[in-house]
Amino acid sequence: MSFLIRRLSFYFVAFFIAISFNFLLPRLMPGDPIDALFAAAQGKMDPAQMDAVREMYGFMDGSPFEQYIAYIKSVFTLDLGPSVLMFPINVTDVIGQALPWTMFLALGSLIVALIIGVSIGTYASYRRDGLFGQIVPPLLAFISNFPYIVTALLLFYFFGLQLELLPLAYTYDPALDPGFTMEFIGSVVKHAVLPMGSMIVVGIATWVFNMRNAMINVLGEDYVTMAEAKGLSSYRVMSRYAGRNAILPVATAIAMAIGFSFAGSIMTEVVFNYQGLGNILLKGIVARDYPLIQAILLILVSAVLTANFIADLLYVWLDPRISK
Amino acid sequence: MKDVLLEINNLCVDYVSPNGVARAVNNVSLSIAPGETLGIAGESGCGKSTLAFAISRLHKAPALISEGEILYKDCDVLKMSDKELRDYRWNDVSIVFQSAMNSLNPVITIGEQLLDVIIAHKKISYKEAHQKAVELLSIVGIHGDRMASFPHQLSGGMRQRVVIAIALALEPKLIIMDEPTTALDVVVEREILNELYDLKTKFGFSILFISHDLSLMGEIADRIGVMYAGNLIEIGDAETVFGKPSHPYTQGLVASFPTIHGPKERLYGIPGNPVDLLRIPEGCNFQDRCTQCMAECKKHEPELIKLNDRHQAACHRL
Amino acid sequence: MNKLIDSIGSEDMSVQESNKLVKKIKGVFSTIHAFFHGNPPAIIGGLLITMVLLGALMAPILASHNPNKRVARPHIAPNAEHILGTTRSGRDVYSQVLYGARKSLTVALSAGIIAMTLAVAVGVTSGYMGGKVDEWLNFLTNVFLVFPQLPLLIVLAAFLGQVGSLVITILLGVTSWPWGARVIRSQTMAIRNKEFIISAEVMGESKLRIILVEILPNLVSIVFGGFLGTVIYAMGSEAGLGILGLGDATEVSWGSMLYWAQTSSALYTGAWWEMIVPAAALAVTGGSLALINMSIDQVSNPKLKTGPHMKLWKKLKKEADQRRGLL
Repeated sequence: MSFLIRRLSFYFVAFFIAISFNFLLPRLMPGDPIDALFAAAQGKMDPAQMDAVREMYGFMDGSPFEQYIAYIKSVFTLDLGPSVLMFPINVTDVIGQALPWTMFLALGSLIVALIIGVSIGTYASYRRDGLFGQIVPPLLAFISNFPYIVTALLLFYFFGLQLELLPLAYTYDPALDPGFTMEFIGSVVKHAVLPMGSMIVVGIATWVFNMRNAMINVLGEDYVTMAEAKGLSSYRVMSRYAGRNAILPVATAIAMAIGFSFAGSIMTEVVFNYQGLGNILLKGIVARDYPLIQAILLILVSAVLTANFIADLLYVWLDPRISK
Repeated sequence: MKDVLLEINNLCVDYVSPNGVARAVNNVSLSIAPGETLGIAGESGCGKSTLAFAISRLHKAPALISEGEILYKDCDVLKMSDKELRDYRWNDVSIVFQSAMNSLNPVITIGEQLLDVIIAHKKISYKEAHQKAVELLSIVGIHGDRMASFPHQLSGGMRQRVVIAIALALEPKLIIMDEPTTALDVVVEREILNELYDLKTKFGFSILFISHDLSLMGEIADRIGVMYAGNLIEIGDAETVFGKPSHPYTQGLVASFPTIHGPKERLYGIPGNPVDLLRIPEGCNFQDRCTQCMAECKKHEPELIKLNDRHQAACHRL
Repeated sequence: MNKLIDSIGSEDMSVQESNKLVKKIKGVFSTIHAFFHGNPPAIIGGLLITMVLLGALMAPILASHNPNKRVARPHIAPNAEHILGTTRSGRDVYSQVLYGARKSLTVALSAGIIAMTLAVAVGVTSGYMGGKVDEWLNFLTNVFLVFPQLPLLIVLAAFLGQVGSLVITILLGVTSWPWGARVIRSQTMAIRNKEFIISAEVMGESKLRIILVEILPNLVSIVFGGFLGTVIYAMGSEAGLGILGLGDATEVSWGSMLYWAQTSSALYTGAWWEMIVPAAALAVTGGSLALINMSIDQVSNPKLKTGPHMKLWKKLKKEADQRRGLL
C-alpha cells in the first residue's frame, strides 16, 4: 500500500496548505477586507451581521495561532459562516446547492470526452495515412487549444442563439420541481448539452491526441511485434497488447486534466449561466463575499484532490508494476 | 524428396525514409532444411534481423518487401491472405526475440501470454489449454504456479525461458532466434543454449539463429551464412565458414575473435565503418574496408559463386 | 542574404570569424527550413502566428482608429469604414483587436518566459541533484500541480481588487511553472545517467558548467515546447480572468474586449462581432501555437511524423503487389 499511502498523505498536506492559504489571505491583503466588504454591502448589514462575519474570520480574539486552530476547526466542522451575498444563508448551504452541478459538469464532460477520445485516438493510431493520419491530428491540435471560454462562447452563439436548438441558461427549467421524474431528468439533460458539449469538444481533442501519441509509442515495442508474430487477431493485439499499455500515460494525464476540467467548468458556467460553483463564485466576487469565495476555493481544492486520488487508484489498478 | 523446409529466393527489403530508399536486404537467397540449425552472422545493421522478420512478414511501413519469394512448403508466404498468414504464424514459424523483458507484455500475466496463442490457434477448451501451458512451463523448468506472475516479477533468465516456452507452444517447424542470448551473461547463456539443444533433439525443429557472435555460431550451427550491408556474402557448413572462410569480410570477422587456447596473438579488426545504406557504392559494398580490393570490385557487384557443393561466397577474388 | 553576410564579413571581422558566423547562420536557416519542409501543419501554424504577431507589432500602422476613443455610433455592424464593427461604446473593434493583441500577447509571452525560467531552474536542479533537494522540489512541484490554478488565480485577483496586467503576468508566471518543471526534471534525469555526463563529472567539470554546457542544449526542444504550451495556457487564462472582470478593464486586451462584450450582452443584442472577434483572435493564436508545438513534438519523436515518404511507400507497395500478382 505504500504508493497509495504516500499519495494520500500528500493530499492531506496539500489540503492543509489550502486551509492555511485561506487563513492567511485576508490577513495579508492590503487593507482590511472586512471594511471593503462593508463598503460593498453599503451599510446594509447591521452590527450583528458584522460581528458574525468578524467571528467567522476569527478576528475576534486570541493570538494568530489560536485563530488558526479555530479556523481549522471551523473547516472540518463545515461551519464556514454566513454568506454576505445571501445573508443569512450559510455558506455551506449555498455551496451545497451548487456543488453537485459543477461536479456533474466537470466530471461528466471529462468522462465522456475520455471515452470518446480514447476510442478515436486508438483508431487514429491504427490508420496512419489518409484522413485520420494526416488531417485529423493537426485539426485536433488546433481545436483542443481554444481556451474553454472561446468554445463555450462559440457554441453559445451558434447553437444557442442562432439556431435556438438548446436552452441557454440554468441547470434545468426553473418551473419544474427537482425529483427523479423523467421530465426533470430530461430537462437537466437538455440544459447540460451545450455547457457539457463545449467542454467535451475541447476534451475529446486532448484525449485523441494523448491516446494516439501513446499508441504510436507503444506500437513500436517488441511485445506488440511478438503479439503479431503469434498470429493473434489484430483486435487482440490493438486492445490487449497495445491499448492496455498505452492507457497508462493517458491515466497519468487524467490527474492533470481534472484540475483543468474544474477550471474550465467555471468559465462555462459563466457563459451559460449554469448554476454551479463558478456562477456563485462570480456573484460572490462582485459582492465582495469573501467568506463565500474562500469557501468555494476550499471546496474546489477538495474536489480536485479527491478526484486525483481516484485517478491514482485507477492507475494502480491498471499498472501491475506499481507496488500497492 | 522434400529436403527443404523454408526457401528464400531473391528477397529484397527496402526502407522508405524521408532521405531516400535504403535497401536493407538485397537479393538474398537461402534455404533451411528440416531439423537443421542455420546461423546468420553479421554486424549491426547488415540486414540479418530484417531478413528474419520478413519470414513471418512482420514488416510494417515504412519497410517494404519489394521483391522475391519466401516458400514455406511450396507456399509463398508473401502471397498469403490474412487468414492464411495468421494460421502460418507461430504454428509453423515462431520467434524468440532479443530481449525477453521487451517482448513480454508488462501488464498481463505470463500465463495469459501463453494461453492466448494456444487458444487463438487450436480449438481446445480453456482447461486443456491451461494444462498445456503448465506443461510448457515445466519443459523449460518453471513451476506452474508462475502462470499468474507478471513479467517484472521474474528474473532475467526465467523470462527468457518463458519466451522460449511460448515459442514452443504450437510445436512449430522453424524457430527464429534473434540474438537470444546477447542480453544474458555467459553462464545463463550456456544453460539456455544447452536446454535449447535438448529441446531441439526432442521436438525436431529447425533453428534460424541470428547473432553477431560468430564464435558462438561456430559451436551450435550446422551451416552459417554471413551478411554484409544487405547482401549474403558467404554461406556454407559451419566448419568451413568458421575454419576456412573465403570472403575477406568473413576472414576479418573470424580474425577478430580471440581464442582462449593457444598463444596470445595480435587481434585484427576490420578497419572503417559500416556502409550508409542510403549511399551504397557502385560495385562491391565492402570495397572501402577490404584489404584485397581490386579494380573489378569498384565496378561490378560480386555474385555468389559456388565454391563446392555446400559452400558459396560472393567475391571477385574467387 | 548570403551576399549581405559576406559583405559584413569582409569589412569588420577577420575572415575566419566571419566564416564561422556564416556557417552558424546557415545552420540555423537550414534547421528552420527542414522543420517546415513538407509539414503543412507547421506551415499553417507558422503563417497564422506570424500574421498575429505582425498585427500586434504594427498595430499603430494597421489600425484604422484609436481603439480607446468613441469613434462612431455603438454596435454598428461591420462595414467599409469599420471592417469589424463597433462596440457598445462606439469603439472600433478592428483597431481594438490589433491593439489588444499587443497586450494579450505581451502578457502571455512574459508569463511564459517567467514560468519556463522557473521550470528550468527547478526541473534541472531537481533532476540533476537528486536526493533531498529533489525530494523537496518535487514535493513543491506536486503541490502546485495539484491545485486548480484558475480558481486560485480568481480568488487572488478578487482579493487584490481589479489588477493591472503586470500583476496578472506575474501571477500567471508563478503558477504555471510546475507542469514544465516536471517534464524537464524527468528529461534531466534521463540525460544525467548518460555516459557523457558521468565522464564530464569525472574529469572535474564544475556542476554549473555541466548543467549549462552539457545538459541544457539537450533540453532545448522540450523547453521550447513547454514555453509554447505555457503561452497558450496563459492566453486562455488572461482571457478567462478578463471576461470575469478581474483584469484591468480599462486597458485594451482581448480579455477586456470579452468583458465589455459580455456586460453589454453583445450576443443577445445581435452585435455578435463584439464578442466573436476577440474570441476568434484567441482561438487562432492558440491554435497556431499548438500546431507549431505539435511539429516540435514530431521533431523530437520522429515516430509521430506523418510525412511525404509515406506516399512513396504506398506507391512502391502497390508496384510490389502488382508484381506478385496480388492486385
